[in-house]
Amino acid sequence: MNYLYFLYMDFLAKYNVPKILGNITFYIIPFCIIAAVLLVVVLILVLAERKLLGYFTQRKGPNRVGYWGVLQTLADAFKLLIKENITPGKADRFLYNLAPILVFVPVVTVLGIIPYSGEFTFVNTSTNIILYVVLAAFPVLSIFLAGWSSNNKYSLLGAARSISQVLSYELPITFVVLSIVVLASSMNLSGITLAQYSSKGLAGWFIFPCIAGFCIMFISILAELNRCPFDLPEAESELICGYNTEYSGMRFALFYLSEYSMLFANSLFLSIIFLGGYLSPFGGYLSHIIFGDSQLASFLVYFEQTFWLFLKSGIIIFVIIWIRATLPRLASYDLIKFSWVVLLPASIINLLWVIVYKYLTGGAA
Amino acid sequence: MTAVKTFKLNLGPQHPSTHGVLRLILELDGEKILSCEPDVGYLHRGMEKMAEQMKYVQYLPTVDRIDYLAGCFYSELFCRTIEKAMGVEIPDKVKYIRVLLLELNRIASHLLWIGAFLMDLGATSPFFYAFREREMILRYFEKLTGQRMMYNYFVFGGVRTDINYLEDIENIIDILPQKIKDYEKIITDNPIFLTRTEGKGIIEQTLAKNYSITGVNLRASGVSYDQRLYDRLYNNIEFVPIVLDGKDSWSRYKARILEINESIKIIQQALEKVKQLGDLRQVLINPIRLKLPEGEYYSEIEAPRGLASCYILSDGSDKPYRLKWRTPSYYSVNLLREILRGAYLNDAIAIAGSLDIILPEVDK
Amino acid sequence: MKKIIRSLVSLIEGHLTVFKHLFMKSVTVQYPEKRRELNDAFRGKPQVAGCIGCGICKSVCPSGAINYIKDENGNVRSYTFDLNKCIFCGNCKYYCPQQAISMTKEYELATDRKSDLILEYRGGKE
Repeated sequence: MNYLYFLYMDFLAKYNVPKILGNITFYIIPFCIIAAVLLVVVLILVLAERKLLGYFTQRKGPNRVGYWGVLQTLADAFKLLIKENITPGKADRFLYNLAPILVFVPVVTVLGIIPYSGEFTFVNTSTNIILYVVLAAFPVLSIFLAGWSSNNKYSLLGAARSISQVLSYELPITFVVLSIVVLASSMNLSGITLAQYSSKGLAGWFIFPCIAGFCIMFISILAELNRCPFDLPEAESELICGYNTEYSGMRFALFYLSEYSMLFANSLFLSIIFLGGYLSPFGGYLSHIIFGDSQLASFLVYFEQTFWLFLKSGIIIFVIIWIRATLPRLASYDLIKFSWVVLLPASIINLLWVIVYKYLTGGAA
Repeated sequence: MTAVKTFKLNLGPQHPSTHGVLRLILELDGEKILSCEPDVGYLHRGMEKMAEQMKYVQYLPTVDRIDYLAGCFYSELFCRTIEKAMGVEIPDKVKYIRVLLLELNRIASHLLWIGAFLMDLGATSPFFYAFREREMILRYFEKLTGQRMMYNYFVFGGVRTDINYLEDIENIIDILPQKIKDYEKIITDNPIFLTRTEGKGIIEQTLAKNYSITGVNLRASGVSYDQRLYDRLYNNIEFVPIVLDGKDSWSRYKARILEINESIKIIQQALEKVKQLGDLRQVLINPIRLKLPEGEYYSEIEAPRGLASCYILSDGSDKPYRLKWRTPSYYSVNLLREILRGAYLNDAIAIAGSLDIILPEVDK
Repeated sequence: MKKIIRSLVSLIEGHLTVFKHLFMKSVTVQYPEKRRELNDAFRGKPQVAGCIGCGICKSVCPSGAINYIKDENGNVRSYTFDLNKCIFCGNCKYYCPQQAISMTKEYELATDRKSDLILEYRGGKE
């Protein structure tokens, strides 16, 4: 990123733009890029989910708008845009309007932390894994605001469920993340990625010493994302739509958008801390193998790294959708019990094991 | 300190998982249900009053609509009552044709229930799989009777046309057992499904008897009562009523799965008997000038949801003086006020779903 | 312990069963382009030809959808099905002594004018 920063500053200096302006815009531009890319990713994700759920049940999924249904989500988004925004009569108007905006802020921020390739992290602070964990739990706040302010009993129940769910699943996540920090001796996502490098490719990934941690993390992330089988806050058959029952039009679209972007961000996070992030699973990069040590290869390698990261997160998302197609929903009290009785002790044991492992493999230095 | 505040939640009448328009007035403390008051009647069509203004033959097509998932049963029930009143014994072939169709219809109804129940629990795929199999049965019905759900196939003293396309039925009973194994793989031992259903919604035998619950819900509570055992239609057919003693939602689920398998066996037997018997001969009652002799007539049948019965009070004219349906779901709905007490909101949906409530049947 | 293993096995089994369906052919029919094959028994839009005006259909119709007018010679002048009322039960077809009523395979009867749903057949023929 520093490399890009200097390039950018040099470019601005050529046209006599003040340095301060460059400093500001350098951080604004990435967010615009993220926002734009995010929209595309979410459109793809929604389509992928609907298609896959269709195929899992021997249907075809959306296939009318555009070739193979590719424009279906776009059409849906457009429909949501032109729909009326309804505010319930006795809603707390300020909070009601604030919630969908707030839900989107942490999502965009979180995506800025992710190292997409060796030279491509928008915000590269030294302890950004902690930043991630904190920000990833943020959307629940706006979910609570939404549920509280809509003045609807279903929304309120959904919001209450959501709060208790995130509270109980945040601890296992923290412990697993701690074990990763121990393994990598780093609190930086790029550092964690690089710590998983080995010449044998996927042998260095943290999923192998920490398979239990991966399972715990995966389950907790499902819960944090309100995905099936933990989709209680919006359990359709019980709470109609949960916290966003009263939302319509653009505000609903924002919730929807943030949900899927959070899915995307969390799958990226999971592949970074366990599946070696942007590292190639073969050890060497394909572009190096194909194009040798040429200039082109060193340029292409960044794209290849992004490709690997997206591929890994794509697989994770596929599994998440697969789980959604199969499993029924947990009951709310079982959900919380499962976290405190099973996941939390397991994650603490996992942390201890990882410390022992680290000590034995001589990484204690 | 103020006392704990409870609040009322109106579950329905428009709600994704009330299978129609059931309204449950729940008093909640957090998510715990303190009391439940089922409110029915949103789908009332006056089926009983309507009968008093229609000739028997006119009324016959409408009885399919009492329970749109198992129309055959009510059609058969009405025909049976009329036949009883007229003192007509239907020929063997008609009997077996009726058994065949009734059991096919029972399978279709149970399949839909499995799908809808799992949809209530949040599993999406089994819903579509169950509909896929149900579609085979409905297509067969459409081929034979002309419509998918409102068959209007039974007439007083017989059936409309001779049975046909028997190879379709063979195909269905070939495919079904494998598919049901598939469902069982997905559902039966699934730990999440078990936590949601095992020990939930327990119906004690006394409670079930007090609320006159019948059908699978009763048999899953360990009471061996199946009207088919005493039914003349099923005279020469061997089957075992499914009785489980778990009393909970899970046994109700399992009982329905087993009942589908049992129905397949019945169909196989009926199929063979239908093949052996020759041409269709019917005792035809002239339906257009049909006048029931003065008196009271009653008959009953084991519908997918329990014991259904029909009572006709005739004054000798061509229209019933009074007609009464006993529809099993109505009693199950009443039971909700007992078994939902103390449950949690998300169990409430699972329990209500497990009782297999069909609203048009409740409201008539 | 046994229980945990059993539930894990069933979880995996369930997921594999669902996964299997990913490779199966879809069972849905792409409706407006493709349609299901309908059998001759299908009860769609009713038709009448060769009515003698005996009135049985009118008396067996549960919803009163059938009406006909006779001229002075006793021939049927006009015969109407009111599809607003018709429930497609097929009673009229089944009880007609002349087999004059038939039910076609036409089922897409939605329209935005109620008058389109009143089918009138002149002299027992369209």
